[in-house]
Amino acid sequence: MARHDEVLRLDGVHKTYHLGAHVVPALQGVDLALRRGEMLALTGPSGSGKSTLLNIAGLIDRADTGCVRLRGHDVGTLSESQATLLRRDAIGFVFQGFNLVPVMTVWDNVDYALFIAGMPVPERRQRVQALLQAVGLDAHAAHRPDALSGGQRQRVAIARALVKRPALVIADEPTANLDSRTADQVLDLMREQGHAHGAAFLIATHDDRLLGRCDRVLRLLDGVIQTERQPFRAAQP
Amino acid sequence: MNTLAWLRFAAANTLRNRRRSAVTVGIAALGTAAILLAGGFALYTYQSLAEAAARSSGHLIVARPAQFNQDEDVPLQHGLDDVAALRSRLLADGQVRQVLPRVDFSGLVSNGDKSTVMVAAGIDPDAEFAIKGPFLKVSAGRVLVSGQRLQVMLGEGLARSLKATPGSGLTLLASTTEGALNALDVTVSGIFSTGVPDLDRRLVYTDVHTAQQLLVTQRVSSLGVFLDRMDATPAAQARVAKAEAPLQVQTWVDQAVFYRSVKDLYNRIFGALGLIIAVIVVVVVTNAMAMAVIERTREIGTLRALGTLPGQLVRSFALEGVLLGGAGTALGAALALAVSAALLVFPVQMPPPPGRSDSYPLQIAIDGSLYGITVLSMVLLAGIASASVARRTVATPVVDALAHT
Repeated sequence: MARHDEVLRLDGVHKTYHLGAHVVPALQGVDLALRRGEMLALTGPSGSGKSTLLNIAGLIDRADTGCVRLRGHDVGTLSESQATLLRRDAIGFVFQGFNLVPVMTVWDNVDYALFIAGMPVPERRQRVQALLQAVGLDAHAAHRPDALSGGQRQRVAIARALVKRPALVIADEPTANLDSRTADQVLDLMREQGHAHGAAFLIATHDDRLLGRCDRVLRLLDGVIQTERQPFRAAQP
Repeated sequence: MNTLAWLRFAAANTLRNRRRSAVTVGIAALGTAAILLAGGFALYTYQSLAEAAARSSGHLIVARPAQFNQDEDVPLQHGLDDVAALRSRLLADGQVRQVLPRVDFSGLVSNGDKSTVMVAAGIDPDAEFAIKGPFLKVSAGRVLVSGQRLQVMLGEGLARSLKATPGSGLTLLASTTEGALNALDVTVSGIFSTGVPDLDRRLVYTDVHTAQQLLVTQRVSSLGVFLDRMDATPAAQARVAKAEAPLQVQTWVDQAVFYRSVKDLYNRIFGALGLIIAVIVVVVVTNAMAMAVIERTREIGTLRALGTLPGQLVRSFALEGVLLGGAGTALGAALALAVSAALLVFPVQMPPPPGRSDSYPLQIAIDGSLYGITVLSMVLLAGIASASVARRTVATPVVDALAHT
């Protein structure tokens, strides 16, 4: 894999939780590389370390040891503020429970990621409009999330994650709450948008449909990568 | 960053739990109204007492220093000579409306059967009563008239004690400036009330010339200088003191012991009351915001994950507090204004204060500074309280905030 195409790289990442007297090793020497436009699925049973790996890759948690590089930069030395700004500019999140802001309209939820980055209003308007059209929700732009179906909400969440054209999208069970037709739509959307802007996807999932459509599937067990189930397919940048 | 957008976000957040926000706004409104009404009442009281004190003594009192600082061995020992020239110089000042001489003395007043102690003042009747206006209530007879000598006005209590009515003949007895005893027969022209029963049991007004005739002198105790505006007092004091040195110039505040006492007392009472109310409002806003912050911990985690800086979120919560506090204080200010205006249209009489005989109208001063400072303080406190509540949760690690249920 060419290093200049690498979006994310984890080398020997360890993470241990201390729950009172109990010591729980969540990740035990995980190595991982993710390149531009690639869609990588993480699977494994509950407690295998998927969420921890997503959190560390998404810069909302830190590894105890090991190295995490985003676009070639070691993020272990970043301050909290620097990590926040890097998340703002380079990482998109799709949460299992959508996590949309209920008092914001669909438009505002998608626009928020650009708004906090201080992007000029005309450019924001253009990007949000384009993405809402792409996810088929331009007619619902003025609606609040509670007026949308589960699939629509997840599409808004995906639009929010992609609108800033991030290098990396972290998605936690993005199809868990969706029926199969909607899940397919969501996956198509992620794939299209990922290809359009070269975003790499790191997705935790148990959904077989999703696993079958990812470029690679890594299986985690007890904090260790056990198997890589699908052959690597080069993604189209 | 677009402040208007944050404001819109904060406003939307305040409407999430409308009942809680309404209660918070309501309590902030009542608290603000209570502070403004109590403060307005205190201000009105200060203004009334200040005006009464200034009308009684003059805005400035000009006398020899010993008149203010020392006791007299004989009447008018420290009095002013050549008053006419001094008065002309003082009247030449553009801000001086009137200069009134005053002869303060004490002695006995007798109806032939009974004698009692009096505290008397020789005044320039026409000018004095014109200046005093509503602050002297004539309950019988008429006020003194300049040029009519050997006339007196008695306080209600004193008149009752001497069974005197307008037209009654009395005798004034006092020591002269030489220390001899002198007496003058006078006629009661009227009976008045100052509103202070203790004062009305002793007080006698007569004209300056009668007082000087009784004391056998041409001196006066002091000159009361009446200005065109209350707020001109400090500047006028400095000007007159410089021009008339070595005479001493005091202001009405120096002489108004009652005003100072009431102000000191009210400042403490209403200050403590205001502080308690402000604390209650801050606690209510803090509580409301604490609940909002806890409920939105997961959302805070989401926004932090999306790249929102902690400071941006703290400011957003502070804005919510400012909006709640602002709405409450605006409503409270409107309520206080309405009550203050209603009291002008529908007067309410208050019972006489301790030591006084007259009731007085309940009125609330509408003071721009009081409103401005109160509203700003409450809004600022609400913002600070909200920010301090949000700060801790916003600083929670993003992973923990997202896992919050």
